[in-house]
Amino acid sequence: MIDPNDLLFLLQGVPATLAISFLSFGIGFALGIPIAVARQMSPSLSYLMEAYEKAFRGIPVLVFMLLFYFGLGGFVPFLKDPFTCAVVALGLRSGAFQSQIFRGAINSVDKQQMMAALSLGMTKTEAFRYVILPQAFIVALPGLGSEISLLIKDSSYAFILGVLELTKHADILRKASRSFVFPYLMAAVLYILMTFPIANYLDKWGSRLKTKYGLR
Amino acid sequence: MEVLACKGLRKVYGDLEVLKGIDFSINKGETKVIIGPSGSGKSTFLRIMGLLEPPTEGKVFFEGKDVYGENLNLNMIRAKIGFVFQDPSLFRHLTALENVKLGLKVVLKMSDEEATKKAMETLKLVRMDEWADYYPAQLSGGQQQRVGIARALAMDPDIILFDEPTASLDIELTWEVIDVMKDLARRGITMLVVTHEIGFAKEVADEIVLMDSGRIVESGPPEQMLKSPKTERAREFLGRLLGGV
Ligand SMILES: Nc1ncnc2c1ncn2[C@@H]1O[C@H](COP(=O)(O)OP(=O)(O)OP(=O)(O)O)[C@@H](O)[C@H]1O
Ligand SMILES: [Mg+2]
Repeated sequence: MIDPNDLLFLLQGVPATLAISFLSFGIGFALGIPIAVARQMSPSLSYLMEAYEKAFRGIPVLVFMLLFYFGLGGFVPFLKDPFTCAVVALGLRSGAFQSQIFRGAINSVDKQQMMAALSLGMTKTEAFRYVILPQAFIVALPGLGSEISLLIKDSSYAFILGVLELTKHADILRKASRSFVFPYLMAAVLYILMTFPIANYLDKWGSRLKTKYGLR
Repeated sequence: MEVLACKGLRKVYGDLEVLKGIDFSINKGETKVIIGPSGSGKSTFLRIMGLLEPPTEGKVFFEGKDVYGENLNLNMIRAKIGFVFQDPSLFRHLTALENVKLGLKVVLKMSDEEATKKAMETLKLVRMDEWADYYPAQLSGGQQQRVGIARALAMDPDIILFDEPTASLDIELTWEVIDVMKDLARRGITMLVVTHEIGFAKEVADEIVLMDSGRIVESGPPEQMLKSPKTERAREFLGRLLGGV
């Protein structure tokens, strides 16, 4: 039987899990869009961006977290804060992922849209801002949904650094109770309850707008 | 007064020479129609005249100024050259009204109020004011094209370039677009139009220009071009276009 007190205890880990996920998503969003646009506009900058993307795609985010915490932490004091360190590592990786999501979405926007914008006298930056990105954002919605769920799941790595998020709460509960399985099972259910609706909602929202605007 | 002109225009893509030396000019108030077989370089020529692509060689003049020679702001000049595409290319996330307003606000820096007023007036001219709040996906091809014309027209450009604006429309939709274009020509809007709607050329064009494999083969007033073309190539092409043999 599930003890309501155990559940309440676990739920106390949810805010930290969501905070890590959404803050790192915000960082990733703020990095991803400019990088995707820069890669379109300036091929010379492209190599640097590509190296960044490759690094964060090819190396486990947990390794980055440990590297930041134990390695860089000595030089950059705020990385000594476990919560901040987790957010920064996940945020940087999300930037790499989101720049790829947006690059694909930008490429899917009809090339003539840019021409039409330029023909009105807009600069390339204005064309991106008012014509290309709003359409690319709609195309990107399902991808952004998967990215948020990935961040919610991977925020559990912060447990290693001792952040009191959901997985850490499950672990504490396991040590305090006789049950080895229930705390983790309950955590699993809570993760599903967070990831699934968000991904599903963004997916639906994206398809609805795509149909409305006749986007591919 | 000369609005748009070019001299010795060449365009090469890879090893394909698409334009092989074109001299052309159009004056204020004139309507010129470009015809020619598929692949002859009409769209490429129009994109270069619209400053949407640079030429490989040669000069483009806007109101007498060498566009690429002097250090001019291309965006500012593009704002004065309207462009209507074959595929209307309306901004798909914006309503008809917002499509017309966007350039007015972003480029001409009009207030929202001014832009709305100007955009509604222009939509009325192309008989699309009742559809102002519809998205492109909800409009027919002909309606989209008329909004495309309004979007270019609202900027008060010095010339509007049209690249086969009716090529992908069926016959009735073609008429509604052509009617709007005839209207504009009669209002004295300077127009350079790639089209094979010969009725349009006959009624409003000052000159018909025949392009073939990257060159202007022949040009002249419609009566002369349609009745007694000078070159063999023009006789052959026009003969087929007008339904002869
Ligand atoms: N961006 C480009 N890159 C490479 N080749 C191109 C490009 N644009 C056009 N071409 C080629 O240039 C030639 C002329 O094309 P263009 O579209 O200007 O002809 P057109 O007269 O407009 O033909 P249509 O009547 O079919 O529209 C074609 O062979 C085309 O494949
Ligand atoms: Mg063409």
